[in-house]
Amino acid sequence: MDIWQQLSILLEGVPLTFSISLLSFFAGIAIGLPLAFIRVYEKEVGFVVDAFEKIFRGIPEIVLMLMIYFGLGPFFPFPFNNAFFVAAFVLGLRSGANQSQIYRGAIRGIGDEQMIAAQSVGLPKWSAIWHIMVPQVLTYSTPGLGSEFALLIKDSAYAYVIGGLAEIMTLSIRIKSIPPYDVITPFVLAAILYIGLTSPIAFWLDRWGNKRKKKMGL
Amino acid sequence: MEAKNVYKTYGKNSKKADAKQIEAVKNVSLQIRKGDIKLIFGPSGSGKSTFLRCLAMLDIPDKGEIYLGDQCLTKPGVDLNKARARIGFVFQHIYLFRHLTALRNVELALRHVLKLPKEEARKRALAALAEVKVTDCAYKYPSQMSGGQAQRVGIARALARNPDIILLDEPTSALDPELTGEVIDTLRDLAKEGATMLIVSHEMPFARDVADEMIFYDEGKIVETGRPSIFFNAPSTDRAKKFMDRIIKRTTRE
Repeated sequence: MDIWQQLSILLEGVPLTFSISLLSFFAGIAIGLPLAFIRVYEKEVGFVVDAFEKIFRGIPEIVLMLMIYFGLGPFFPFPFNNAFFVAAFVLGLRSGANQSQIYRGAIRGIGDEQMIAAQSVGLPKWSAIWHIMVPQVLTYSTPGLGSEFALLIKDSAYAYVIGGLAEIMTLSIRIKSIPPYDVITPFVLAAILYIGLTSPIAFWLDRWGNKRKKKMGL
Repeated sequence: MEAKNVYKTYGKNSKKADAKQIEAVKNVSLQIRKGDIKLIFGPSGSGKSTFLRCLAMLDIPDKGEIYLGDQCLTKPGVDLNKARARIGFVFQHIYLFRHLTALRNVELALRHVLKLPKEEARKRALAALAEVKVTDCAYKYPSQMSGGQAQRVGIARALARNPDIILLDEPTSALDPELTGEVIDTLRDLAKEGATMLIVSHEMPFARDVADEMIFYDEGKIVETGRPSIFFNAPSTDRAKKFMDRIIKRTTRE
């Protein structure tokens, strides 16, 4: 098998790698944003957020994926018997814990004046958070979110442990194990593909963020 | 609007042993009737802003009662958001929503607090912007406006809901001197239209022309109240006299 054949096989894994990462990224937003605001504005239950962050930043993704896929899968085939779901789910939880910290920094950076102004016009707390804080926090967080997305692209490679997902890493391991048992080229190609996937997104997020920040005078 | 025996102390919950407690508001009572324009002035750090924030329930008083019309805002269980919707507040440092254009800044509360339909909210927001003469900034972001324009948008934001009262916390003191005029003119217009206002300010010519009553506030207390003519001629307390002298000297020097 020559290098071009290998590459064309690996390229078929790109959409899956990308969709695992994208899905877990959005899951991370959906988890991380509320957690960050709960941590800052509902101090009585902040310890729940701390615990969540500790747990999902502490457990290696591989361990979680194996635990959930093989531990929960047999008992709750829907949804835990689905490799794609489990991979995105685990990375989403981890990303939620990371993003919660990113957003918390942004909330602190923005300060409480915007919230006080929102309160002064009669907006209820969570309505103020949604209309005033969320757009600003997301803008403020773009550099952190860029590297978080890059992290997710890379960590989607862990999905190979649960098998059955034809993402880039799984495919390169398959290529390695068929004659002529090339152990170098498939991984070098995989590495190049990962770089190609991570950098444009971080770049684009950064640019979008800078444009919005300029508008907001930050 | 009425405040009865309001107290507010800062630094109480601090764990540091040397933390200073600041009694910003000590037993302050004040009544403002519809159409009144009252002006609070006094040394900086004396608690004027805190008192104003207590009136809007942006700071919750430790003790005492705040009434808006017949409604007691300091009773537990009051829907403070509904109450705050009836109070306009203008901040010293303006605090416009940075990610929204002037129009959307004004529109936001109309849409999401008063729940007006989109077109009506837009119409009223544009009317409020026109009233303070910043229509040309409607589609600008706060960072693209001058301080005076931004503060007038801030006033429009407070005004658009037709609040029962507008509280203004040193609306001109964070602005460059050459920009205070346009904000003061806006306030004069509002006064002519019969708005109910409580203003923390040291703009003495404005006070003399517009205020029904001036309130000298120092060390967390109302020291003296009276008509502007009294303050400008012969304040009855020493402290007020000294303070007026200093301010008038400063103003004439400029």
